[in-house]
Amino acid sequence: MSNISKAIEKVDSEEKMAGKAKYINDISYNDMLFAMTLRASESKAKIIKITYPKIPKGYTIVDYNDIPGKNFVKIIYEDMPIFAKKEINYYGEPILLVVGEDKAIISDIINNIHVTYKVQTPSYELKNSVIYYEFEKGKAKEIFKNAKKIIHFDYSTGYQEHVYIEPQGLIGLYEPDKITIIGSMQCPYYIKNAVMQALNSGEKGVRVKQATTGGAFGGKEEFPSLIACQIAVAVLKIKKPIKLIYDREEDMEFTTKRHPSNIKLQAAIGINNEIQAIKAYVALDSGAYIGLSGVVLQRAMIASSGVYTIDNIEVAGDVYETNTVPNGAFRGFGAPQMMFAIEMFINHIASELKLDPFTLRNKYLAKQGDITSTGGKFRDVIIMDEMIKKVMKMSDYKKKYLKYSKKDNYKGIGMSWFLHGCGFTGSGEQKHIKALVKLRKEKNNFVTILVASVDMGQGIQTTLRKIVANILQIPVKKVIYNNPDTDLVPDSGPTVASRTIMIVGGLVAQAAKLLKEQWIDGKEITIAKRYKQPKHIKWDEENLRGDAYPAYSWGVNVVEVVVNPITYQVELIGIWEVYDVGKAIDERIVLGQAEGGVLQGISYGMLEVMKNVNGRIQQKNITDYIIPTSCDSVNIETVFIDNPYLLGPYGAKGAGELTLIGGAPAVALAIENAINRRVTKIPVTPEYIMELIDYGEN
Amino acid sequence: MVNSYIPKTYKEALNLLAQNELLIIAGGTDLMVKFKSISGLLPKFKKDMLFISHLAELDFIKKEKNSIHIGANVTLEKVLNSKHTHYLLKKALLIMASPAIRNMGTVGGNIVNASPAGDTLPVLYVLNTKIVVESLDNKRIIPIEDFIVGPSKTILKENELVKEIIIEDKSFDYMVFEKIGTRQADAISKISFAAVTNIKNSNISDFRVSFGAVGPRIVREKELEKKVIGVTIDELNGMCNLICDNYSKFITPIDDQRSSAIYRKKVALNLLEEYIKSIK
Repeated sequence: MSNISKAIEKVDSEEKMAGKAKYINDISYNDMLFAMTLRASESKAKIIKITYPKIPKGYTIVDYNDIPGKNFVKIIYEDMPIFAKKEINYYGEPILLVVGEDKAIISDIINNIHVTYKVQTPSYELKNSVIYYEFEKGKAKEIFKNAKKIIHFDYSTGYQEHVYIEPQGLIGLYEPDKITIIGSMQCPYYIKNAVMQALNSGEKGVRVKQATTGGAFGGKEEFPSLIACQIAVAVLKIKKPIKLIYDREEDMEFTTKRHPSNIKLQAAIGINNEIQAIKAYVALDSGAYIGLSGVVLQRAMIASSGVYTIDNIEVAGDVYETNTVPNGAFRGFGAPQMMFAIEMFINHIASELKLDPFTLRNKYLAKQGDITSTGGKFRDVIIMDEMIKKVMKMSDYKKKYLKYSKKDNYKGIGMSWFLHGCGFTGSGEQKHIKALVKLRKEKNNFVTILVASVDMGQGIQTTLRKIVANILQIPVKKVIYNNPDTDLVPDSGPTVASRTIMIVGGLVAQAAKLLKEQWIDGKEITIAKRYKQPKHIKWDEENLRGDAYPAYSWGVNVVEVVVNPITYQVELIGIWEVYDVGKAIDERIVLGQAEGGVLQGISYGMLEVMKNVNGRIQQKNITDYIIPTSCDSVNIETVFIDNPYLLGPYGAKGAGELTLIGGAPAVALAIENAINRRVTKIPVTPEYIMELIDYGEN
Repeated sequence: MVNSYIPKTYKEALNLLAQNELLIIAGGTDLMVKFKSISGLLPKFKKDMLFISHLAELDFIKKEKNSIHIGANVTLEKVLNSKHTHYLLKKALLIMASPAIRNMGTVGGNIVNASPAGDTLPVLYVLNTKIVVESLDNKRIIPIEDFIVGPSKTILKENELVKEIIIEDKSFDYMVFEKIGTRQADAISKISFAAVTNIKNSNISDFRVSFGAVGPRIVREKELEKKVIGVTIDELNGMCNLICDNYSKFITPIDDQRSSAIYRKKVALNLLEEYIKSIK
């Protein structure tokens, strides 16, 4: 294996294609019971009384009274209860579980439980701010005070639902001194910590094992902790194995989604048509509980100047609570919202000033050594120039853009430039996660990777093995990496934030190098490696100042469309994408991320409509919530340009989230180009295009 | 729990229908969704079931002099692939659902389900389709627009079964089918539109238009169609706005989770206008 990027066979492709992989719903135990959730039928209410039907023998109600520890799902704040006690804050909030052997009887019991509410007035507007952040770079406030010309646009983005292939599901197992949770998840240790708090148990009282996971996209970051706590409480009470699996509709209606956002952007323009300062304000709808919303807001705010270096920036943002289903982690984590807004805005500034957008964007494109929005530094080489040239050549962008801009032919082409900070925001890795990885060389000279990172389809089972095998010069088959089990592996952190290859993979690579030095045939050797933040990275968590990320991945997308002027439908003509992910550990696996990511991003930008009306999600199955089929896609041309990152394994940086971020602005800009109207919200549906053609501004 | 009846013959099916109150199931692509239960449980059918998809007597496609007869059990995929199938019906089937659904779903089922968004319906309406229904002692041949009376409502009686449909086999100088779905496949129509026209000596000799998903029933207005018979192509084009205005009051869509009333109405009329303009 001379070139690490050269694709090898994905280690799990055979068992998955043959249908042999065991997902959580394929696993069962003797005596196993099923659980189903009774949910609130009001958006804001107090529970006055619950009346139960006669509960048959062998069936059990599990509610807040059964929780030995705290009735909160441990994440950042203690705000979301495991089971609602008296207060209902959103339609569908879990009140209790009914557990038993026969799903039909459970369902019958649930249908006959009657909850009496004192109904209160729910809030669906963004009024109740629960988190507020602000920061300033340069002298933005002063400049805005004296600005002669200000350009102002408002942008908004909708919900996005993960539609992971496999819905949420877990099984809980009982042993006298231990509760085990098995299931579909991204973060075994998040679940372990949450369940320990719920059960008021020590480290040894809770074990979490990942089952083969059918997709996650962020949706299995924090949500599984909620159902794990519920199941753990139920198992503790009933002392039998219990399975809780959501049906697709229940999953779509009541699990977390991408935060809808409203983003206001202003630019102070100087006498030479230069951008003197940018002011950004982001409002995120967290739903009924904060969860991770504050961190999502931070990522959105930090991304507020996109790939551009603007010397003066003023950024503020609020997380608003509403009486709707809580929103949470989703691939991109706040960046897709902001990157859509800023990419549209820089083009809208150009059109307001009658400047060529490409020239304006190029003028402010960040270069190595530039200061980031939070006052940190772009320390590494930035190769956006080369990437932009490449994608423009691949897509024939310039010629098409000129042609489509002149003619009213309903054809359009759009180009987005974007970046994504790799790893946790700020000092998250150093202060909160403190990742620990281990490698154990077995007596038979096989090497076991001991990390808590999960493969959810993104290929980490293959890529981490490949890194170790390549460093130790042993066959991939001699590297063992089982689905994580918290009794066996250290806490290497959650499988989120595009951190797994760069941070965990980096530690694994360092451990492998140490192991190589200490290698003795036939002897068991264990190497441990803990994350240390590079010394030059400084972050002030209070004021959001400093280096928000250790490294950045970069991307350029071009999307070409044709809009049907009779039906306002958008047809994709071509997709071109160029990325700098440092170094691809496996070209085919990263290509999978790139093609899936860009399509998920484009689809966020034009197809995926989800709305709540009076707190109720309207699109709750895949007939009504539209994700693209293969017939909706087109040929995608992808290129990776190597730009190795010194601290990543073989130079690798994050790739998973980056690839989603540019799709929405690229397709929105393409549609804008096609219809010659300004697009300010996503998804750009045919209904919205009709409105724009009839009433929009050009 | 419900009982399932699996008759060996068509005759036996009619016999069973004469004696019992049954829900007829062919491919099940609508009923299994409509009555689905939580995963792992049986569907929540409220009546005993009569299974018919295996009945060979209802699985035929025959060409006769001016018509094509399709047995109620013929799967959508088979209809799509038959050399006898009308071009316009093929067009509708080609973008309908997904291969899996087309391999199970039947023409009879698509009609009896009577959804205003049913994909084959606008085409069947403009092709003057007749529905042959039979009971043990009776046979009726009913024009499709009389057979379907509302969303999920037909005049099929408890003891009757749809046996076949008869589609006019006629060629047209102009014909169009458009499905405006939420995506390119596996989508439910926001609007569908079918139209056919014949010209004789530069006059309009036949003109039929239908819309799906823009009201409780498929819209086909024969009185409006009559008004353009005999006019010249130029006159037809001159009447374009008037024709659209006339249709406008019959196009009464709703807002739902898939689209808006205002979009549906505007696009329906755009499609009609575009179609009329295409007749040259």
